[in-house]
Amino acid sequence: MKVYVNDRPVELLPGMRVRHALLGAGLLPELEAGRKVYDDWGNELGLDGALSPGMKLWVK
Amino acid sequence: MSLDFSRFILVLFLIWSVFSPEVVNAREVRLRLIHLNDFHGFALPQKVPGGEGEEGGAAYMAYQVEQLRRQHPTLLLAAGDMVHGDNWANLFKGASVIALMNLMGFDAMALGNHDFNYGQQVLEQLIAAACFPVLGANVQGVKGLQAFVVKSVGGLRVALIGVVTSDVPVTTHPRNVMGLTFVSPEEAVRALVGKLRPQVDLVIVISHQGYAQDRELAARVPGLDVIVGGHSHTKLEEPAVVAGVIIVQAYEHGRRLGVLDLTWRDGKIVAHEGRLLPIRPASGQSDPKVAALVARYQKKVDQVLGEPVGYTDVVLEGDSELVRTRETNLGNLVADIIRAKTKAEVALINGGSIRKSIPPGSIRRREVYAALPFDNYLVALRLTGRQLKEALEHGVSKVEEHAGAFPQVSGLSFTYDPKGPPGSRVREVLVGGQPLEMTREYVVATNDFLVAGGDGYRMFQEALGGPTGYENVGGVLKSPKLVYVNPGRWLREEVVDFLRAHPRLAPRVEGRIRESQ
Repeated sequence: MKVYVNDRPVELLPGMRVRHALLGAGLLPELEAGRKVYDDWGNELGLDGALSPGMKLWVK
Repeated sequence: MSLDFSRFILVLFLIWSVFSPEVVNAREVRLRLIHLNDFHGFALPQKVPGGEGEEGGAAYMAYQVEQLRRQHPTLLLAAGDMVHGDNWANLFKGASVIALMNLMGFDAMALGNHDFNYGQQVLEQLIAAACFPVLGANVQGVKGLQAFVVKSVGGLRVALIGVVTSDVPVTTHPRNVMGLTFVSPEEAVRALVGKLRPQVDLVIVISHQGYAQDRELAARVPGLDVIVGGHSHTKLEEPAVVAGVIIVQAYEHGRRLGVLDLTWRDGKIVAHEGRLLPIRPASGQSDPKVAALVARYQKKVDQVLGEPVGYTDVVLEGDSELVRTRETNLGNLVADIIRAKTKAEVALINGGSIRKSIPPGSIRRREVYAALPFDNYLVALRLTGRQLKEALEHGVSKVEEHAGAFPQVSGLSFTYDPKGPPGSRVREVLVGGQPLEMTREYVVATNDFLVAGGDGYRMFQEALGGPTGYENVGGVLKSPKLVYVNPGRWLREEVVDFLRAHPRLAPRVEGRIRESQ
């Protein structure tokens, strides 16, 4: 399953979550520093949120 | 006409006025939906890294629910993934959460994918223990599960339909859904809406399939009024409206409570207002009955954590400066358990996944949890010899910095030069006593953290990038590269199971990782 974090593709297993995508993109420490992750509609997501193929995440 | 007869006529009129569709249509009704999703058993307040102090807490949430109920006719709804996650839930296989939901008076719950994590038998027991209907219209084969329920509230007849993501077989252990049939949520909802719409005033879908999928459902299936969502843990601060359908979702872990107020008039919703209520510990704003229930189970959690689960004759070395710089006996033990459980040829984990040593003597569950505090689960993939060697090179590339990537291994041994250039430190690698073959594929077990690229390991993602085609083979999710995965069980529980089956241990450092001269 491929998802995109700040436009960068990340390959994950089915069932993996937002935190896995951020790990794959090397951005998990950014959240611990206070940044947030959002979906394509600008809604904040929890780190244990489910992913779906092709989903786009934005860390800002 | 006698006084008694007049009263009788008046009572009849009142009953008629409440239940007659014409009269209902002629008046305005305010209905409040209170909603929660992806609670995952977090009954105690939590401090989240990067968060805003302590959030959540079931007793504080229950207090808010009671305040909100006093203002309007209300339905309290749960959109799945309620019973698995935190120790407060897991150590009782979800029974604590069902007790909490019964006490809070939930009106309905949709199943989530992680609600299958304890297996079908336990799920059926939980459904039987619930004082509210558990819904899953697109799932067939679970005893007690209902497709929908119709509730009368505020003079309105409200249909509640539950659906869960059709990805359940890949988001819990496939064994947990063996023999069950899943159809698409859209197909199930479409079939039910056609039947229910003429009989009710409102159709609400409680959906555990994710926000993007809820938007698609709203756009594709006519006849819906509201979707109460979950699964994507979306913090939807205000309701979204897609094709006239109101969509809500309330974040995760009980850190927010969703509130949606509907104004219904002349057969339709004419106004709505929604918000997410932050749940935080606050003095005087705790429900005493729920607080007592949470404390009662927490006391049991403490008792369970204090139970002996094994015995070691030696110190199990897990302190950071050890597991991040050299082979340790605890690293060997954990890697051996992972390899045995997954039937892999090799196991490789990051030293950083082990956080604490366990002293000799009786081993309590609490000590295992402290040594392995992360919610990691087991995965086994096919890696080429080249990828496996690259993983080892990466693992030792920052040993001088005591990086968490340092490997602990099972099924292989290797030597490395700690002073060599990073990326060229690994010398001899033996798998099962034989030299590593660069082009051969090996089944390598690890944890989900490394598969996702944690601690800089890229080799597992590279292995996943090939052909996919996931399928459930005899209760195990497989693909050309994936050999084993169980997202519904944490590594520390596998270790506890092993310790119980092997009551006395004395694991040793065996020379699996050696520094070359």
